[in-house]
Amino acid sequence: MEILEYARPRSMDEAFRLIRERHGTAIGGAAWLRTNTKTMALGVDLAGLGLEYIREAGERIEIGAMTTYRELETSQLFKARFGPLFEATVSHVVGIQLRNIITVGGTVAGRYGFSDLNTTLCALGAKAVFYPGQTVDLADFIEKGAETPFLLEKILLPASMKASYQQMRISENDFPIINTASAWTGSDWRIAVGSRPAATRLCKKAMSLLGDDPYLSDEKIVAAAHAATAELQFGSDIRASASYRRETLHVLIRRALMEVRG
Amino acid sequence: MIITLHINGKEESVECLPGEMLTEVLRRAGYLEVKKGCDTGNCGVCTVLLEGKPVLSCSYLAIRADGKEVTTIQGLAGEAKKFAQFLTAEGADQCGFCAPGFALTVLSMKKELHDPNEAEIRHYLAGNLCRCSGYEGQIRAIKKYLEAEHA
Repeated sequence: MEILEYARPRSMDEAFRLIRERHGTAIGGAAWLRTNTKTMALGVDLAGLGLEYIREAGERIEIGAMTTYRELETSQLFKARFGPLFEATVSHVVGIQLRNIITVGGTVAGRYGFSDLNTTLCALGAKAVFYPGQTVDLADFIEKGAETPFLLEKILLPASMKASYQQMRISENDFPIINTASAWTGSDWRIAVGSRPAATRLCKKAMSLLGDDPYLSDEKIVAAAHAATAELQFGSDIRASASYRRETLHVLIRRALMEVRG
Repeated sequence: MIITLHINGKEESVECLPGEMLTEVLRRAGYLEVKKGCDTGNCGVCTVLLEGKPVLSCSYLAIRADGKEVTTIQGLAGEAKKFAQFLTAEGADQCGFCAPGFALTVLSMKKELHDPNEAEIRHYLAGNLCRCSGYEGQIRAIKKYLEAEHA
């Protein structure tokens, strides 16, 4: 990608002004710029704004937009609160060298269909915080996007949750054919599915079917997998056909729910 | 734009375009040991250490490296030569094109992981592809190298 003008703002205010008033494009991890053939009139680099953190904030955990995948993968706080969930979610993404570059914010803001992380974040009921202070449901944002240019500051997560991430890839360095994450929030179940190959969606009918019972029967798990695969749309591409994705998802949802149920 | 990089302990002022990746800038500055492979963030041959962490230089904006420490394989030549003896002994090096990026990742792993098992080694090195498919030999060489280093 060609960047005609580059800016490295020193404050969130300055970054926000450049994006809103001068139509700048926020630069997150920038790992995909090399393969993008577009021209960026004004690139607004978010490095150096102090957005690299994973921290507790009251009843929530905050992830700064410039936090890398490798930081998610190796976070002791996440291991303590979510078990191996984040490691399972991001550790298939190419290699450590790329995971030291790509960022949470770049993935969320890009609303990429192939994303592993967005699926897990949606299952956890994450919120996205846009500077200077608008908080939105992440699943809504992934589905609908934003109406105006935005500056993603951080992601909010619950302090802990039992959840499972499952995916199928042709090879380790490839995008997933299909992925899913399930979570028990303490009061209800959440199921998210991504890489259909379109972007992540919540399976609201399947979630409703599971209700508020933490002890799921095998029959209910199978019924939820049926409901989820029926309510979503799937596409075909070079990696898999729509029907292959649907069949695979059925298995992955069952595995995820069984893992969370225990 | 002019940026300043600290490459292998030496300060270098280099010119770069805003959208240019670190591989191009390093090679233009003469650091030809930084190889160009897939150039799309997949193969790992362009690996360098940035502030001590392995990154793909083909996918890292050069301008972001301004003021930072960049280490190529030449910057760790002593350690790399020691590791290379194990690669040679195991017949794990064929064309050698992936070796600079591969060796840097191995040396980074040695610092980051204490006594890794084979699964951890394979996982850490998943981002380094070898077109000669020398993986089994590489794994043997890494294990013996780490054993020797810990002895």
